[in-house]
Amino acid sequence: MKSATNLSELFEKLDDLKTVFRYGEKLIPVIQGLVDFMRDTVPLLENINSSISESTSKIPKATNQISNVTSATELATTEILDIIDIISNDISTAETAISSLIKIEKEKVEILSVIKTLVGGNEKVDALFERYEKINYVNPILAPLTELLEKTRTNVYNITLSLQVQDITAQQLASVNHLIESVQERLTSLVIDFEVTNVSVLDSSVIQVPQNTTFDPNARYSKSVDQQDAADELVKDHHNRTSQDEIDKLFS
Amino acid sequence: MKKVIMVADDSPSIRKFVSFALTLKGFEILPVCDGMEALEKLPTKKIQLLITDLNMPNVDGFELIKAVRSNDELKDIPIIILTSLAGNDEVEKGMKFGANSYLVKPFDPKRILYEVSKYLN
Repeated sequence: MKSATNLSELFEKLDDLKTVFRYGEKLIPVIQGLVDFMRDTVPLLENINSSISESTSKIPKATNQISNVTSATELATTEILDIIDIISNDISTAETAISSLIKIEKEKVEILSVIKTLVGGNEKVDALFERYEKINYVNPILAPLTELLEKTRTNVYNITLSLQVQDITAQQLASVNHLIESVQERLTSLVIDFEVTNVSVLDSSVIQVPQNTTFDPNARYSKSVDQQDAADELVKDHHNRTSQDEIDKLFS
Repeated sequence: MKKVIMVADDSPSIRKFVSFALTLKGFEILPVCDGMEALEKLPTKKIQLLITDLNMPNVDGFELIKAVRSNDELKDIPIIILTSLAGNDEVEKGMKFGANSYLVKPFDPKRILYEVSKYLN
């Protein structure tokens, strides 16, 4: 009796096993598909990994180039400013010389006027004086020259204003470098996560971003005075408030 | 004797710009690269005015102004902020910390000269 029960259990188990095999038969193509998919995916992942690694390896070069651009523009700006300094000093020298000439000219006119009074009255002498005045009075030439120098000085100031674009771009480039540095860190951590490959992980210290630099990522170059006007308004408000506080304190 | 103005900015070109604008008018410029260098040199030199950036390494402009205003020897030095930070918050904070003027970069050389003249003439 017991052996009949055992046999019945055995057949039941075999039926279960049959069901499993049948199910397995259905499952095998799915597993095969999964294996094929994984087989296809691994090269793809390796490809992605290698691309990430390659991109990461290019980052130090990019950041160094950005740093080099900043240094080069800084050097060029300083050189231009040195030349502007010389031009500005030359303008000052010219202005001083013209100012002296104007003084001399004034004195000449005064002396000539006295001489005219003393020896004038003769037609020939008066004609000679007139001719002399025409040749020697340089004031009409000096006046526009002074204006020209003033205009040149304004232009020099405007050049210095325009050159400040270097400082703004330096800050923007520093901000970009900082961004690249963060991307490099992320990419490096991704490469580490892909453990399956032999790709060497880049050392983040390879990136030579100038240390100890500060920047304003929103720095922008604009000749518009809007920003300054807005700041002036706030400064004015602050000073008004401060004065009122001082008055209040005085009478409290 | 020439009046001495300290210019604290980590940008060499800005130090040069300010120097260009002011030396022509007879001021002597003492350039420093950050707030820390400024604080080291301020007590040793006779400085009549301080022009400072806000974004600087080591000690920034706000800390520098705070340190100057809390020092009995230096607290009366006029301070002009010269920065690319043009937000209302920065202007308010700078003035609250004790700055006398606030200039936004890029600056007009004539404007900086005007601001300096307000305190030194």
